[in-house]
Amino acid sequence: MLREPLFQFLVLGTALFGLFHLVDKKKAEAPERIVISSARIANLADGFARTWQRPPGREELQGLVDDYIRDEVFYREGRAAGLDRDDVIIRRRVRQKMEFFAEDASTPDPTEDQLAAYLQSNPERFKTEYHLTFRQVFLSATRRADTIDRDSKQVATALAGADAAVDTTTLGDPFLLGEEFKAVSQHEMAGVFGDGFAKRLSVMEPGRWQGPISSSFGRHFVYVSERIPGSLPPLDAVREAVRREWSNARRLEAEQKLYASLRQRYEIVVETPPSKSAQVETSR
Amino acid sequence: MKMQILQRTSCAALVTASLTLPVFAAEQDVNTDIGTLDQQTAEKAFPAKPPYSPYAGRNFPTRPFFGDTHTHTSFSMDAGAFGARLGPKDAYRFAKGEEVVASSGQRAKLSRPLDFLVVTDHSDGMGFFPQLMSADPTLLATPQGRKWYDEINSGKGAQAAIDIITSFGKGQLPKGFPTPGTPAYRSAWRETIKAAEEANDPGRFTAFIGYEWTSNAGGNNLHRNVIWRDNGAKASLVEPFTTQPPLGSPNPRDLWKWMAMCEEKTGAEILALAHNGNLSNGRMFPIVESFTGKRIDREYAENRTRWEPLYEATQIKGDGETHPFLSPNDEFANFERWDKGNLDLTELKKPEMLEFEYVRSALKNGLKMEAELGVNPYKFGLVGSTDAHTGLAAVEEDNFFGKTSSSEPSAERATHPFVKTDKAVIMGWEQTASGYAAVWATENTREAIFDAMKRRETYATTGPRMIVRFFGGWDFEASDAANRMPAKIGYTKGVPMGGDLSNAPNGKSPTFLVAALKDPIGANLDRIQVIKGWLGNDGQTQERIYDVAVSGDRKIGADGRSKTPVGNTVDVANATWTNTIGAGEMITVWKDPDFDPALRAFYYVRVIEIPTPRWTAYDAKYFGVAMPKEAPMTTTERAYTSPIWYTP
Repeated sequence: MLREPLFQFLVLGTALFGLFHLVDKKKAEAPERIVISSARIANLADGFARTWQRPPGREELQGLVDDYIRDEVFYREGRAAGLDRDDVIIRRRVRQKMEFFAEDASTPDPTEDQLAAYLQSNPERFKTEYHLTFRQVFLSATRRADTIDRDSKQVATALAGADAAVDTTTLGDPFLLGEEFKAVSQHEMAGVFGDGFAKRLSVMEPGRWQGPISSSFGRHFVYVSERIPGSLPPLDAVREAVRREWSNARRLEAEQKLYASLRQRYEIVVETPPSKSAQVETSR
Repeated sequence: MKMQILQRTSCAALVTASLTLPVFAAEQDVNTDIGTLDQQTAEKAFPAKPPYSPYAGRNFPTRPFFGDTHTHTSFSMDAGAFGARLGPKDAYRFAKGEEVVASSGQRAKLSRPLDFLVVTDHSDGMGFFPQLMSADPTLLATPQGRKWYDEINSGKGAQAAIDIITSFGKGQLPKGFPTPGTPAYRSAWRETIKAAEEANDPGRFTAFIGYEWTSNAGGNNLHRNVIWRDNGAKASLVEPFTTQPPLGSPNPRDLWKWMAMCEEKTGAEILALAHNGNLSNGRMFPIVESFTGKRIDREYAENRTRWEPLYEATQIKGDGETHPFLSPNDEFANFERWDKGNLDLTELKKPEMLEFEYVRSALKNGLKMEAELGVNPYKFGLVGSTDAHTGLAAVEEDNFFGKTSSSEPSAERATHPFVKTDKAVIMGWEQTASGYAAVWATENTREAIFDAMKRRETYATTGPRMIVRFFGGWDFEASDAANRMPAKIGYTKGVPMGGDLSNAPNGKSPTFLVAALKDPIGANLDRIQVIKGWLGNDGQTQERIYDVAVSGDRKIGADGRSKTPVGNTVDVANATWTNTIGAGEMITVWKDPDFDPALRAFYYVRVIEIPTPRWTAYDAKYFGVAMPKEAPMTTTERAYTSPIWYTP
């Protein structure tokens, strides 16, 4: 198709026509002018100052202006020559700008009611994790490779009926991160001891020694002294997070709406490509 | 004498703790009579009768935070060219443990969240790809721009990307690149800051603001990541420093000037960390500066050590601890080495370059330069990071999303060339699934993690989250290894990793409390080693490796080594292993048997895991493909701590 003489002729003709038209119009308006306004110069100097934390010197400013003019000349000529058409990157960029536009347009400040409603209808996003305070007696699988089952039974006996005040310094082995853990969340526990341990611990009742729980380090006997349940915080405590999530939801919605409304204006025809692939690309 | 020393070490521990703890602020102010003050302070912090609450007075870091100081997104020009579509927001979401769709269309999720992340897009051309030609059709008027444009449009994006990186390395970028001050650039930087501000969640997840200054003079890697302690209000007062003149410069001295200016003018606090000396062809840790051909001077040393407290020792483009050529007696030195040439393979490697590229030799040369200049330019701590250009900080062997979007999991990624020039080729399988940064901070906030980085209380891992403790002092005893609160005894009697020892008491040698705990979902540990470097009386630097703890019944000989390997349980075909060898935890007290109080020295810890399947084995199994026979199928993951320095 691209090699068809008629096509080439048409393209050339259209281009020439367009060019004459453009030049004509320009002639009627004014000679080509590039005006570097004082606002623009201030803007360029500002950019320099942002990097260097000082205003540009005379030569530096001249360099910036020269460069800007060069940009502008090529930019205009390039566009006039149609270099921006059929360009995947430019198309994507323009689409992105449209989406940003939708984003900007979609984010007025939410009202109190809107935020409160969003918090109530999406509690799982804002709920705080529960936290546990606990002590442990640790039996190291490394140190007690062959005796861990027996030792574990002995420790269980020693701790049966014991309370928080029991002296555990002679029981078990040292653990690198210590024996007491204060107000740790489930995800912190999982990070240190592994997921399985954190899950087991999460269902333990406070107030007595329990275990052993296995981890990849060995066995752990645990005394949970305090369990701070997770809760849905009041709006005041999570306002920023709710605002962020609300805005994000609105942005996605606005983008989708904008797209839907714009797409409505088009009749979309998708041809089946004549290749061996039977798959039809869906237009998006 | 002994009492004084005890007081001194307690004091060091307290000062460390007080950095983040207002409770000690009052005591810290009184600084005239060291002896008396220490006594009081020590008694307040660790009184004879412990307070009712066992947690009161516990101000030292109790667990390390794991993160990545180095992730690129589509805002980086090369990442964009390679097909990255995820931006900074997605990168933070992924690091927090959320599932995202990778640029290749696959679903991706971490095994567990990271604690912090720094999105570090290249400052040069930040936002280049998203903004490229719409902002600047001039690009198309250049032969280069035209060529890239055609390549990308005809599906050869990867080729274009390599060309972009190569041109960048040679300083041959066309006009029209987004530079600071242009609206396109400003908007990319604002988006970067905004993403960090939104993702930052003090106490749960830290999102740092940062960027990468990608100095690549002649294709030689001198890259640095810059990180803010502060929030967006301060970071948005400046725009990142670039490497292309006239606004930027490829010389690190100019970056340091810019950092000084940034701190002075905006009141922010920032730091920089370099990476990939292995691709710098002898320029990362110079004795003779490549920009001037002159020996580095005191000003260089002062600035480098002031602005660059950390170094990224391991990442996807290879591991940088040491090299077999430099450390011929180190049987673990030949690990994930990228030593064919510089970053873009336009210049091949020569053995004499290696000394100025690797961590261990740099630490050694640092001692030498300190003797000469009075300041150690290479007094840095260690972290690992990914340098992923996918927005995905995913470097576990069984969950490795590669360096670029084109090397996300696929049947072909291992056998595709990663970089190829007429001089050499680096294959896809040579990518290293590594690493992360572990930071001993008092809490998970920008301020606490940044402060811990500044005091170098950090270590590098090649991916697993093993926990490593390392304290140095003069009075650790064997029984301290059995203490129920290792951290407390460590901070009481010594300084943590990244710290300093001096004033050796008469007849004493430094002692170290060293401990490691395996990753809770990872492999057992083979051994813990202390690596010592020192400057001899003859002005020559030396190094020596000591095995200080080994698993099982193996013995450590009189030479301080255990030459018996731990064994290997890896089933390569099924990409599995078992923890039937190695140890889950190790703790010991080690005393330097060859200490000379007159000689400068450093000590750092290397923890080695038992062999496990390398990512290539997981790929081979999942995709049912055969790997090239030269591709390693097992690996030994490891951690490197920041050193503790001894200065006479």
